[in-house]
Amino acid sequence: MSGYVEGVIILVCINVIAVLGVSILTGFTRLFSFGNAGFMAIGAYASAILTTKYGAPFPVALVVGPIIAAIVALGLGKLTLKLKGDYFLITTLGFGESVRLLFLFAEPITGGARGLSGIPPKTTMFIAVGITMLAFLGAWNFLRSKYGRNLMAIREQEIAAEAVGINTAKFKEYSFMISAAYAGMAGALLAHYYMFISPIMFNLPKSAELTITVVIGGLGSLSGSVLATILLTVLPEIFRSAAEYRMLLYGLAVVIIIVLKPSGLMGYREFSLRPIFTLYERIFKKNNPTQTKGDGK
Amino acid sequence: MPILTITNLHKHFGGVKAINDFSITLEKGKIYGLIGPNGAGKTTIFNTITGIYEPTMGEIFLNGKSVIKKAPYEISNMGIARTFQNIRLFGNLSVLDNVIIACHADAKYGIFEAMTKFGRFKKNEEEIKEKCIKLLQIVGLEEMRDDTAGALPYGHQRKLEIARALATNPSLLLLDEPAAGMNEKESEELVRFIQNIHENFDLTILLIEHHMDFVMSLCDEIAVLNFGSTIAMGTPDEVKRNPAVIEAYLGGEDDA
Amino acid sequence: MLLQQLINGISVGGIYALLATGYALIYSLLGFSNWAHGEVAMLGAYIGILSVTALQMPFIFAVILAVVGAGFISVFNEKIAYKRIRDNNSPTMFLMIAAMGLSTTFQNLAIVVFGPKFKMYPQILPVGAVKIGSLSVGLLDLVSLGIAIVAIIGLEYLITKTKFGLAVKAASSNMGTASLLGINVDKYIMLVFFLAGTLAGISGILYGMKYTVYPQLGNVALKAFIASVFGGLGSVQGAIVGAMSIGLLETLVSAYIHSGLRDLITFILLIAILLVRPTGLMGKDIQDKA
Repeated sequence: MSGYVEGVIILVCINVIAVLGVSILTGFTRLFSFGNAGFMAIGAYASAILTTKYGAPFPVALVVGPIIAAIVALGLGKLTLKLKGDYFLITTLGFGESVRLLFLFAEPITGGARGLSGIPPKTTMFIAVGITMLAFLGAWNFLRSKYGRNLMAIREQEIAAEAVGINTAKFKEYSFMISAAYAGMAGALLAHYYMFISPIMFNLPKSAELTITVVIGGLGSLSGSVLATILLTVLPEIFRSAAEYRMLLYGLAVVIIIVLKPSGLMGYREFSLRPIFTLYERIFKKNNPTQTKGDGK
Repeated sequence: MPILTITNLHKHFGGVKAINDFSITLEKGKIYGLIGPNGAGKTTIFNTITGIYEPTMGEIFLNGKSVIKKAPYEISNMGIARTFQNIRLFGNLSVLDNVIIACHADAKYGIFEAMTKFGRFKKNEEEIKEKCIKLLQIVGLEEMRDDTAGALPYGHQRKLEIARALATNPSLLLLDEPAAGMNEKESEELVRFIQNIHENFDLTILLIEHHMDFVMSLCDEIAVLNFGSTIAMGTPDEVKRNPAVIEAYLGGEDDA
Repeated sequence: MLLQQLINGISVGGIYALLATGYALIYSLLGFSNWAHGEVAMLGAYIGILSVTALQMPFIFAVILAVVGAGFISVFNEKIAYKRIRDNNSPTMFLMIAAMGLSTTFQNLAIVVFGPKFKMYPQILPVGAVKIGSLSVGLLDLVSLGIAIVAIIGLEYLITKTKFGLAVKAASSNMGTASLLGINVDKYIMLVFFLAGTLAGISGILYGMKYTVYPQLGNVALKAFIASVFGGLGSVQGAIVGAMSIGLLETLVSAYIHSGLRDLITFILLIAILLVRPTGLMGKDIQDKA
């Protein structure tokens, strides 16, 4: 496989992990964050500082980065998750920007605007794909357990969720922490792929891009989020010449989707192969006289 | 022993006294009705019992334990379940999931068991699903368990809300206008339905309702509310003859 | 020296206030944050600059064209996106997502159409400074402050003293009741968007004259949004107080602490204020009725 294709696959994987986190938060809990790029930055810087300055092994950095991001999310969430709607959103936005500005300002540790370089290139395609699959599986199972169901209950009807005994504040914290941990993991992988990080890579447009991807994939669909990430990462690579139109098209896509088909690509449904099988059966078993409708019910 | 005791409850919104010195004692196992004209403070009492509002003054005890200053979810876990006047289902989720969500306390597995499906996860989930299907059978919604809750007809949505409330294993069930929007035949059927779950689940029930026939045929005792205060309390027959009640309802409800 | 910084701060605050009041008006009516508001200001600034430079229009006509144009762009957003989403009965959150999409669209449209370069407004006012006693204040800052004050007083008059203001107040407290009372709610929403758009247009031009015009100019609305949250979402007076506070804070932090910490301190203070007052300084507490 050529290095170029490999690079695109690694990028897709990193984006998928970050988007999965936002998908859990926004698609399944209906909490909006414009600060997930900040959690990515925390994961990236924490892991990169560990490997470059303290010589820590890569796997340790991969674990510690997301954990620090999750702990920060817990602290922030405890303070701000009580706030309603837009008030919460603005605090995540303020948080994301604060993290970026802080890393910009703390030059002795982070290298400031010049960035942090010399990070060992540890993110191979094998590692990226492996972690992405684990991350997807973990999120998938999580959402199909009481945890995910409680989050969806909060999304659908917060008052009713409380009334059936769900500690909504606690589960929102879980959602926020997991989304931060996923962002942190994406950041850690990114740092060890690019071998260089700087605060500008984790700015507000990056946070917005993550949310846009989730909306395009469909709020409440994990596979939709993955599909959208692949689409939005690969298409710009193919149409290189139209690079400046990329964000313009994203913006347009979001407006069109939210106005005309708010469920996005996959809204509330997951991608499955069943329709293909059904189609197959319809075509090839059409003339089968023994097939009767509704038997075995 | 009383299951719920409310003494001298007050709830003020600014200058409006939505609940004004309300007291009631619910004996275990009985069905109680809370009636009164619109704006009498009935739903506010429900919201105060379930912790959505904090009372301005007064005490509420469930089985001898105060519920004041407890969060709604804590009160639910203490054994009070409710339905809502304006139905609040998890609209985009399936009928079965609506009930399963309410069983979250039965799921004992931790977050890592959930992510990996190891340990207690599978057995726990199967038990919960079984319990919920049984509940749906009891309320008669088993056939539509995969339908989207928000797309059900109105009457079915009310029943689903009751099933969801039952899934939390309550000892006290609060029903806010369960017969709203139902015709005579449907509400007669609902009477039998509520009597049925009352026996099967060993429940105490407190319900708000406007349909007089419904309340009279179902409840053991009725409290009549006006302007946030109790104006009468007693068996259906006593309440029916009470002059204060007749006055409050004069021209309101045309009841035989 | 301090006094001079204070005047600078109020002048910047005035530009924020023009944006923040529009934000607050729309929020009070529809309950969502119009993220595309900054882009309306940005497009207004471009219309102004292109009218002067490319079309050689007299400055005053260019300004009128820009302000009215910004008003129409704001109405355009309402027509093509927000109204349809309301008609679909979608959750309020979708309005905000649409606004975010519009914001991204306009910003990148500006990059594609106008190019990423900074554009300078031609010198309309003499660069000089006005001396008041020992103070010397930039003429532009003074004019800009004056315009902001006039516009905001006009807005105050409009929403507190006129039939229009009453109707908007009625609609924002209860949309259903307002339409029952015979108020054409959609018409008033459109008018509010137009009004907010024109205020944004003015602020876009003032900002463009003070600094430069560029596709990301709309990001200044972030400050206006913070100002609006600061003062309490949906409160016009709160937005003005918030905008002035942020203008002052930024100027003072840059002057006396470190310009690199300017935004950081603003954000931290914002979060701190929300922790003490979860609905801002003047926001109303909205209780979800069960």
